[in-house]
Amino acid sequence: MVGKVFSKVASNYDLMNDLMSAGLHRLWKDRLVSKLSPFPGMKHLDVAGGTGDVAFRILESISSIRRRALQDPVNDGLQEETQIYVCDINPNMLNVGKKHAIERGLGEDKSLTWVEGDAEALSFGDNSMDGYTIAFGIRNVTHIEKVLAEAYRVLKRGGRFLCLELSHVEIPVFKELYDFYSFSVIPPLGELVAGDRESYQYLVESIRQFPPQEKFASMIADAGFQKVEYENLVGGVVAIHSGLKI
Amino acid sequence: MYRTAANRLLYGASLINNSGGGHLLRFPILRTVISSSRFSTTVDPQTFPNQDPGPSDSSTTSSATSSSTSSTAGDGPRHERKNPRAEYEEEQARVLQASLRHVIRLGWSEEAIIAGAKEAGVSPSIVGSFPRKEAAIVEFFMDDCLQRLIDRIDSGEELQNLIPSQCISKLVRIRLEMQAPNISKWPQALSIQAHPLNVSTSFKQRAMLVDEIWHAAGDGASDVDCYVKRTILGGIYSTTEIYMLTDSSSEFRDTWLFLDDRVKDAFDLKKTVQEAKYLAEAVGAGMGSSLQGFVSRVLQR
Repeated sequence: MVGKVFSKVASNYDLMNDLMSAGLHRLWKDRLVSKLSPFPGMKHLDVAGGTGDVAFRILESISSIRRRALQDPVNDGLQEETQIYVCDINPNMLNVGKKHAIERGLGEDKSLTWVEGDAEALSFGDNSMDGYTIAFGIRNVTHIEKVLAEAYRVLKRGGRFLCLELSHVEIPVFKELYDFYSFSVIPPLGELVAGDRESYQYLVESIRQFPPQEKFASMIADAGFQKVEYENLVGGVVAIHSGLKI
Repeated sequence: MYRTAANRLLYGASLINNSGGGHLLRFPILRTVISSSRFSTTVDPQTFPNQDPGPSDSSTTSSATSSSTSSTAGDGPRHERKNPRAEYEEEQARVLQASLRHVIRLGWSEEAIIAGAKEAGVSPSIVGSFPRKEAAIVEFFMDDCLQRLIDRIDSGEELQNLIPSQCISKLVRIRLEMQAPNISKWPQALSIQAHPLNVSTSFKQRAMLVDEIWHAAGDGASDVDCYVKRTILGGIYSTTEIYMLTDSSSEFRDTWLFLDDRVKDAFDLKKTVQEAKYLAEAVGAGMGSSLQGFVSRVLQR
């Protein structure tokens, strides 16, 4: 089901994101990357990052840090060592991402690698990644615990796990407004723009199925992460969970 | 656990709303000397309140620690609670300790922490887990210096035979000498401490420092006077610190002379204030009687 949904939405994914979130998703991803604090020479894995939004932001953040760090001769050689892996289960999403990379001028960048893979069974070695992000992807996996366990496995000691995901709103009046928006506006919008009402119906229902912030935080802690925290954006519409592997 | 509760009572929690309405619970942790030998100002997240359904806790808590503290069944080794919690804080402290060696080259910055992390054998991603990155390393340094000062006080016999003004002078000098290796980068540290987000923690650290120095100088008073004394000492310390930034004499000789002068001024001021009080009383008494006589004569008319 998930595979079919994303094959169908791939081409209109970014447009629909912009419409549904009124462009806010860009700010959310900016916030995610700033919380990550990327550094030159970093090995990073972005899972379910098909169209590459998060990966591009990380790369751009590192190149700007690099300009500052040019003062320090030790770091100069590290820029080449930066490796960002974008992993997605769906090849269509990866193709869209590769296209975007070329448009942004990052097509030839050796730091960016596109990998087709399953978040529940990653092909990367243990203790190999400094950072792991999953933006709007963990909602769609079958077994959240497996994904978290894999994330814990591939991270190095001191590595950070960050998850950006649509989450639960508890604020009284805002909750009703949000529910109305989700069920009465988004599916017809999907019908109009992408010609696909069902996928977006699936989307808003899957948001409600996903565990709330506290529960998800405890699941992350169960996987072995420490210093598990979350930050609500827009009153809980989106939450960024973070954990540290020690 | 009691340590955290005590700190909460003393210093309070600050709930910070991030842009867009997010909330992170932050406890400025200042472990007291009595109960621990290490100072740290790292964030200490609230334990996950599965067993305790306190309404205020569950609505404001936004963090959890590892599984042994968050198991819903309430089983599992409770005695392990401290260990996994302390682990990441220890790692963070280790990283910051290693970073201090890089400050002279890289300044009080993320780069120093990244270099420190590499030295400590931990992924530099850990820099993202410090809520206020440059401030973390500065605050760690301040705590570290305070701890070293306390160690010096506890072990030093040299302070026994000094009069208070000399004692204070010596202690401030010992403390400022700890900053001497990094003095070229110290202005950056001061500006970081003055940043609105960091002011409250740096103020607390300085208050503790001043308290410690007065305590060692033999003044255990807890009356109103003590606030005045601590404020004055705080002023002496800060001005000397700033003087030291531009002092190019060998081994900061000029700074110590400046310090001695200021301490002398402060003690002289105390005497002067007392004398002024007696003078005012005398004048008041004298004036009062002649004024009374004048007023009564006026009223008689």
